[in-house]
Amino acid sequence: MSTLQQLDDYIIARYTAQPTRLPAELRREIERAWEGAPVQLYALADLDQSLRLTETWLALGPRHVAIARRDSEGWDVRSIERLRIEAVREAPGLSANTLTILGKPGEPALALLRYTHRQRRAFENIRFVLDEQIQGHARKLDAADADRLYAESIARPIRDAQALVSGRQTAVIRRLLGYLTPYKRQLTLGMAAATVITLVSLVPPYLAGYLIDRVVRPAQAGALPLTRAWTIARIAVAAMAVVYLVKQAAAHIRLRLMAILGEWVARDLRDELYEHIQRLSLSFFSRKRTGSLITRVSADTDRLWEFLAFGVVDVSLSLVMLTGLGAVLLTLDWRLGLVMTLPVPVLCWFIYRHGENIARLFIRAWRKWSRVTDVLSDTIPGIRVVKAFNQEEREIERFAGRNEDVTAEFNRIHRSWTTFWPLLVLGVHAMTVTVWVFAMPRLLGHGVQLPVGTFVSFLLYTTMFLGPIDVIGQMARTINRATTSAHRVFEVLDTEPEIRDAAEPVRLEPVHGRVTFEHVTFGYDGVRQVLRGVSFDVAPGELIGLVGPSGGGKTTIVNLIARFYDVTGGAIRIDGVDIRRLDTGHFRRQMGMVLQDPYLFHGTVVDNIRYGLPDAPLAAVVAAAQAANAHDFITKLQHGYDTVVGERGHTLSGGERQRVSIARAILHDPRILILDEATSSVDTETEREIQQALERLVAGRTVFAIAHRLSTLRKASRLFVIEEGRLVEHGTHAELLNIRDGKYRHLYELQLQLQ
Amino acid sequence: MTLTLGKSATVTRALTLEWRADGSLWAVRGEEERAVSVRRCFPWSEPGRHLSLRDADEEEFAFVRDPAELDPRSRAALERALEVAGFVFEVTRVLEIEEEVEIRRWLVETRQGPRAFQTRLDDWPRGLPHGGLLIRDLAGDLYHLVEPKRLDKQSRELLWAFVD
Repeated sequence: MSTLQQLDDYIIARYTAQPTRLPAELRREIERAWEGAPVQLYALADLDQSLRLTETWLALGPRHVAIARRDSEGWDVRSIERLRIEAVREAPGLSANTLTILGKPGEPALALLRYTHRQRRAFENIRFVLDEQIQGHARKLDAADADRLYAESIARPIRDAQALVSGRQTAVIRRLLGYLTPYKRQLTLGMAAATVITLVSLVPPYLAGYLIDRVVRPAQAGALPLTRAWTIARIAVAAMAVVYLVKQAAAHIRLRLMAILGEWVARDLRDELYEHIQRLSLSFFSRKRTGSLITRVSADTDRLWEFLAFGVVDVSLSLVMLTGLGAVLLTLDWRLGLVMTLPVPVLCWFIYRHGENIARLFIRAWRKWSRVTDVLSDTIPGIRVVKAFNQEEREIERFAGRNEDVTAEFNRIHRSWTTFWPLLVLGVHAMTVTVWVFAMPRLLGHGVQLPVGTFVSFLLYTTMFLGPIDVIGQMARTINRATTSAHRVFEVLDTEPEIRDAAEPVRLEPVHGRVTFEHVTFGYDGVRQVLRGVSFDVAPGELIGLVGPSGGGKTTIVNLIARFYDVTGGAIRIDGVDIRRLDTGHFRRQMGMVLQDPYLFHGTVVDNIRYGLPDAPLAAVVAAAQAANAHDFITKLQHGYDTVVGERGHTLSGGERQRVSIARAILHDPRILILDEATSSVDTETEREIQQALERLVAGRTVFAIAHRLSTLRKASRLFVIEEGRLVEHGTHAELLNIRDGKYRHLYELQLQLQ
Repeated sequence: MTLTLGKSATVTRALTLEWRADGSLWAVRGEEERAVSVRRCFPWSEPGRHLSLRDADEEEFAFVRDPAELDPRSRAALERALEVAGFVFEVTRVLEIEEEVEIRRWLVETRQGPRAFQTRLDDWPRGLPHGGLLIRDLAGDLYHLVEPKRLDKQSRELLWAFVD
């Protein structure tokens, strides 16, 4: 079983309280009824006809489907021959979907199943296969995939939303601490310095007690000669000064070393993370939100810096400090020691509870805060609409209302902590007062004798309690925050790129540009195919126009040519070599892409043009820009080619960005070029200029051009009409127009009518 | 200015609805008939009116502004379809709300039975026009808390951070 399937099984068991797979005894019963034919796909219908939660299974085999309902005596299994199925209908609802399996028209439904959205993907898999069968396309399935596909369909929304890393929290912390290994020396020094701080902090109170009991009082009572007392006192005071010096020197070493060390670890994590992100396949990016990935590289690594630099040391030394203090107090005077140490766990618990309460208050405040930011992210980008509909006053009121709400919540938080902390300190003072209450009679000669110096040491030690109690009380939260960030970082690091080079990858030198599809099938998941057996052979230098309705598979074809994904069936060959055997990096250097929404990076125009070839001479950059009809507008910019285009090139118009991206492609000089709706979002004049630029760009290369405006593809060598994942027509513009009832002809006539 | 309404938005009086043996709701209008499913246009503002009847290709076949305009048999058939189309889990008790890495884990009792579900940490329950809260889980299932303030004490405490 793959690691991914194990993870999916874990997610289903932990989060959904539904079976991780089709019950084994039911599977056997179904397969027995099918005379040994295997279950190839299955889904759980978790709602009954009266919309209560239930357990009904729909299983699909090579010749049958089975519906199994649990009753008091076990499973009631009913099989239906797949050949009898003439239609499958799904009616979606807010949370209840209905799948109806139909036989001949007018006859009662063969089966009617209801299920929540959680099960919908598993049902869609089955529905897809049945629909394919109804349309006359047999779909081969591997029974070994049934469990994997079911588990994936249920677990995927949770897996995609959550950074799940295998291992317990302690394992995650251990792994995190592993990043300190290269900096053992600094870590050891830092820890040693922190230990010195802790230990020497215990010395001054002891010295104070010693001076009072062994020097001051004996000297006052005449039991110690004054000269001797002076000598001891001078030594003790000097020792105290040394102690403070050592303590602060150690503090300096600890702070500096640990802060720098934490920064190094954060840098290492950021580098590793970013490098790994660059290597991940596109499918990973389609699953994760961009904002979430940016946060992982920035905020999460920063939070880990804080934990590694200070959290680890603070928590461990607070534990040592508290234990040390307890031991010293109990040794000095066990009766008073108990008064001080017994309440410590209670105080830690109070701090922990306060942390929990504050977290709850923060959830409420964050919710309200998100309502404030909603208004901002709505109205600032949409300010033209606000003004056009004269809604400024309403928006001001809306913002003010929400701002008031969030302020009230933050004030609630302030009321909580400003009450708690003084009360906590009061609690510690109450312990001190209790110590006085118990100590006074003994100081005055009643009960067990208590030397004054010991009592003074004791009092000084009690002032040191609050710091470590605070750290330990918040320990759970500190560790939780760090492990959350660690989960998010490790999840990325643990994701394997789906596109990998073969052991001995082939480098085509030079690439001629022949592209061959051999019965290519592809699906973004295991069942639903986006491409269904596409075959073609494109000679070097051909310009192929890909046309057809949206969602038909055109973009998938170009994504496969660029090897952003690997085919699930068949093969793609470049100059006769399977694309999976090629050195991907080298191959992509021979590819160029001009997309509908050209992406420019923050930087200068020249940086953007030579993005693929950073060392290209400036003369080549100008030549490329001239060929792309971009030179003219670039030279009119105040800083010419050195103009900074801003984030995503926002300072340029859509047509200007497109021409810069064409210049980039021309300079890159690819053998295979992909144009994905390169002229669809510009005006007619700009389109003409871009079209001219493209004509220069495509010369001598193999080109795949996707365009909805069919007129832009008149110069194509051939046109491929792609519909529902199939190549349904191909030929020249004139040939396709000659096909009576042809798809291309129909599309072309529709567009003529619109014009 | 004249607004032209599509064929589907015409009068509902000529429309009849019935459940047939194939388990589907059929809409009949003159010579035309189609198996349809119901979509509420305002599932929370006005759930009982403005209903879109859509065929298997998700095309609107008919639009029912007010079911009262239908004959009693059709109205009864429509009400049965609405039950399924408008189904959401109705939460009667909140047992647990826990935060984990990037998600919030909920354990609730619903009228349909016990249910565990998850939401993103930054996906907040949504207040509804007529009161109540609506929560959407990661899979897209909806959970309706009709009157959060009338739930038991433990549920109210757990929900405190999510209710105004």
